[in-house]
Amino acid sequence: MRRGLISWSRDEVPPSVLEGRVARLQEQMRAAELGVVLIYTSFARPSAVAWLTHFVPYWNEALLVVLPTGAPVLLAAFSKRVHDWIRSVSHLGEVRSAPDLGRAAAAFLGEHLPKPLRIGVLELDALPWPVAEPIIKSEHGRALVDATGLFAAIRQPADEVEIRLARRAATIAVQALKAIPTGAKRASELLSVLERSARLDGAEEVLPRLAPDLRANATLRRLEGDALLGERYAVELSVAYKATWVRITRCVSTQAVPPSWRGAADRFVEIAERLNEANLSLEPQVAGSVRPGKTAAWTLETCRGSPPLSIVATGETPSPSALPGGSLACLSLQLDLDDGPWLGGEPLILGSRGQPSRLLI
Amino acid sequence: MNGSTDALAGERRARLAVAMSGEGIDVLVVAGNAWRSDYLRFAAGVTVVEGQAFALIERKKPARLIIESAAEAARFRVEQPGLAVSWEPSPIEATENAIRALGAKRIALAPSAAVPYRLAMGPLGSGIARATATLDRLMLRKSPAEIRAFRRAAALADEGYAVFREAARVGRPEYALVADVEAFFRSRGCPENFQILGAGGKEVRGMHPPTERRLTPGDLVTTELTPCVDGYYAQICRTLVLGQPSEAQKRAFTVYNEALERGIAAVRTGATAGDVARAQNEVFRRHGLGDYVTSEYTRVRGHGLGLYVDGRPALLEDVDLVLEPDMTLIVHPNTYHPEVGYFVHGDSVRVISGGCEVLTRTPRELFSVPIA
Repeated sequence: MRRGLISWSRDEVPPSVLEGRVARLQEQMRAAELGVVLIYTSFARPSAVAWLTHFVPYWNEALLVVLPTGAPVLLAAFSKRVHDWIRSVSHLGEVRSAPDLGRAAAAFLGEHLPKPLRIGVLELDALPWPVAEPIIKSEHGRALVDATGLFAAIRQPADEVEIRLARRAATIAVQALKAIPTGAKRASELLSVLERSARLDGAEEVLPRLAPDLRANATLRRLEGDALLGERYAVELSVAYKATWVRITRCVSTQAVPPSWRGAADRFVEIAERLNEANLSLEPQVAGSVRPGKTAAWTLETCRGSPPLSIVATGETPSPSALPGGSLACLSLQLDLDDGPWLGGEPLILGSRGQPSRLLI
Repeated sequence: MNGSTDALAGERRARLAVAMSGEGIDVLVVAGNAWRSDYLRFAAGVTVVEGQAFALIERKKPARLIIESAAEAARFRVEQPGLAVSWEPSPIEATENAIRALGAKRIALAPSAAVPYRLAMGPLGSGIARATATLDRLMLRKSPAEIRAFRRAAALADEGYAVFREAARVGRPEYALVADVEAFFRSRGCPENFQILGAGGKEVRGMHPPTERRLTPGDLVTTELTPCVDGYYAQICRTLVLGQPSEAQKRAFTVYNEALERGIAAVRTGATAGDVARAQNEVFRRHGLGDYVTSEYTRVRGHGLGLYVDGRPALLEDVDLVLEPDMTLIVHPNTYHPEVGYFVHGDSVRVISGGCEVLTRTPRELFSVPIA
């Protein structure tokens, strides 16, 4: 559940920016002859609604209704007394109480779509059944179409407002990583410091994963309980600031930083900069590079729907999906070095055709 | 996973196998995500942090997990070596294919809250409600091992509230209080906590995630803390005052404290969830505060706890679910008070035959935090 700072600064995210994003969606809707678009949100899938309205559910569920004109309407399963809070942190038209989201949506469509019109649903396949069922059984049940591609087409590249938020999220993460005590012996000690630092810096959420002993296993884990830290360990911090997520991964050595890690970090930068909208692959290696190690695994993630980050390209699948230059993305890389594994991760702005990507910080 | 988590997972799996046999289910497909990971945790022992996941549970075979996040797939392979884990960029389609490949076996799909449209529209859609009810029955009454985890979570909630009281100081922003509490829980190996709060006076109508508002003298500061141990959540609700409480705040406290005591006294095997809600609400009605126990001002008078922070049953007067031994609940008469604002007060309990065992131990008082 979200329990960090949730607030809306009109300076950081001006209403006009949110209105512009909604207008772009509405333009696409008109072109696609959609009478309405429905976007489900929960704290597990908050990003599409947050991008349009700045609303992030700390728990519970809601459904955003976007008509071809006018401000979006939120059908919220939250109790009425939370509506003032919802309005204080988001830019919405009406907020309606909807303990049963599906029925409320069916009723809303009945009121506002007198003619049979196509109803777009972001990620229709994934729409929770209690929300979908009443709509399916209503007079509009046959009108549902998937609007995932339509939304993705307008979601990236990132605008300057989103890039600033991502930069702030990345700074929060880096500051938290800098706060790791040099003598930390246990995972619990480390995680406690990370959480305190990130949340005191205004993180909306922080999800840490940890490989507590890199020599034993390089898999990043969510720890329940505790673990001893090895001489070398790795930390991945996924941090949200005002609904914008970044992932940053660092290796930590309790001894002097191994020389191989410096080479690995340089290699990471080279690889990141080579990525662009026409090349979402890590291969071939940079010509003439003498950087150490072999690529063990990598992912490039971005936000283009309701999940905060989803995979665009990875070493595990041959064909990446398309992503335009200027997109906000996160590269995570694992290298096998002669002296053990190395993990790194950074957010970046994807380069356009022929242009290098830029690391965010 | 640690040893107690392994033991819990094995015990749940054994109970599930018996229930599946009784229902004539060969394969149970369980959906989940970070919002609703409770059923997945029960059936497959995993808590999903990112993306969607589907577990295919066969009675006498290792479970199979299909998951959307590559990072989550990698960690489950390490944390749960007994699971066959596959990363799929389109997990719903992959699960649909996996179901199809099962052929003539008797397959059920659950839970209703997390099943996606595409799978529900398929041949298993008609059985979702029944399969969900089967899981719900198993998850309502806790086993001894589950009660042990719940008991540890309740003790941690008490400790967390002590940290919260220390953190609540004039001039600090609300989110700093949560930072201190979260840091404490992580230091104790607790990976997850649900927490909301409120601070101020009569203008405060509920709790919410922390804002940038700084605490001021006289504030009523409310919170509910819900730490998680081995997947099980326990909750505590308390209210404190920055400075000396006013007479109105003291008067309000006596009402909420009486309501909590009456609610807890009503928890016993054979009583209904409605009885517990009614016992609390009657106190408010007797004090002329009946309007404030309606949905205009409050949501529930408590709820079930376990692998989900807001489980069944909801404690509402019209809920007739009968309480059974080893159900676990939070009883909380939280609502708005017209003289002092939103006020919370609640304890986690375990239902036993003649009553209930109260597992949170923080004194039931209106705490006063001195102003430096």
